[in-house]
Amino acid sequence: MNDQRLGIRKIVYYSEEILLENGAAPAIPAVRATAAAVVTNPWLGGDASDDLGKEVVQLAPVLARKLTDVLAANLGGVDAIEAFGKAALVGIDGEIEHGAALIHTPFFGNLVRESFDGESIICFADDRAEAGTSLVVPLWHKNAAATRTHYQSITTRIGDAPRPGEIVVVLGASTGPRPHSRIGDRLTDPIVKADTLGELVS
Amino acid sequence: MSIRKIVTLTEDVLTEGGREVSPTARVAVVAAIIKNPWAGQGFVEDLSAGIDGNASDIGALLAPRVLEALGSPAEAYGKAAIVGLNGEIEHGSGLIHTLAFGNHFRDAANATTLLPAVEKRGPAGVVFDIPLKHITDATIRSHHQSIEVRINDAPHADEIVIALAAAAQGRPQQRLAAFSTEAN
Repeated sequence: MNDQRLGIRKIVYYSEEILLENGAAPAIPAVRATAAAVVTNPWLGGDASDDLGKEVVQLAPVLARKLTDVLAANLGGVDAIEAFGKAALVGIDGEIEHGAALIHTPFFGNLVRESFDGESIICFADDRAEAGTSLVVPLWHKNAAATRTHYQSITTRIGDAPRPGEIVVVLGASTGPRPHSRIGDRLTDPIVKADTLGELVS
Repeated sequence: MSIRKIVTLTEDVLTEGGREVSPTARVAVVAAIIKNPWAGQGFVEDLSAGIDGNASDIGALLAPRVLEALGSPAEAYGKAAIVGLNGEIEHGSGLIHTLAFGNHFRDAANATTLLPAVEKRGPAGVVFDIPLKHITDATIRSHHQSIEVRINDAPHADEIVIALAAAAQGRPQQRLAAFSTEAN
């Protein structure tokens, strides 16, 4: 099925390569990126009880494939991608559930994991808003979600999308950790409870 | 030259006005976020040292990157200088309105015309539009277009965003007659 029949209007790629953060070069350089597809909301005018399944099967895997292809091609291949995340921004004539339908089923997520050779649940953001609204896409490690060095996010925005009857579906990725990650991890954390903190929180 | 970040943006238009755009229309932007070479120096009368020390290097960095992001020959192009709130617009203009900057792009794209530009001062996250015109004939109306850019955390007050934009074609669904057909 061609892009026009699926209602894909635009595909936008955005990346940030950080050379300096707080004046110093990152020990492990990384590129963070988003690929976003602007699609016609296939459920406009429907009821709150409508079954969304048919369109999910038709559209979500195609979006997953297109967006993973764009990110892999631009970031140096699947092996270079260490973290991922996803987002949906629904135009104001749609339901939040419509965005959820496109990103929160196996028809999107499993294809992303398969393409990126990842196993983690994919962290996400969703919202309903006017065209030109920014959305922060969270990212975490594609195989070990609790890897604190890879907790990061990237802001996505398209000036003319989503129109009221559109949905922007976003896939984010990073080739490495935060620029100067240095806040320990679960293995080095002390035991923190209200009573160990004493007066600080009493 | 102190570069904090390099941003790449490509926009592929697959449909416009409800009709397929074939081939897909792409516009690419690459932006470098640099420290303002004159930050903290008060009013600098002669900007030539800062221009000579930076403009050519930034042009040499950005030109091949934007053409690589475009992935096909450029037919239209443009440039931008977005100055952080502590700087002068003249600082940004100094860096982009020199042949030392623009010729890197012009030579790489086999272009001959002046690069249309936006110069602006604003806070981090300011939205700016880069105008593009045809690379060899600025009167070719089909190629007049622009692309919107926003970088969430740039420019800082003492930074400048320097960007190049390239388009592989004119506007999607362009269908205005050439200037030459208009009655005077």
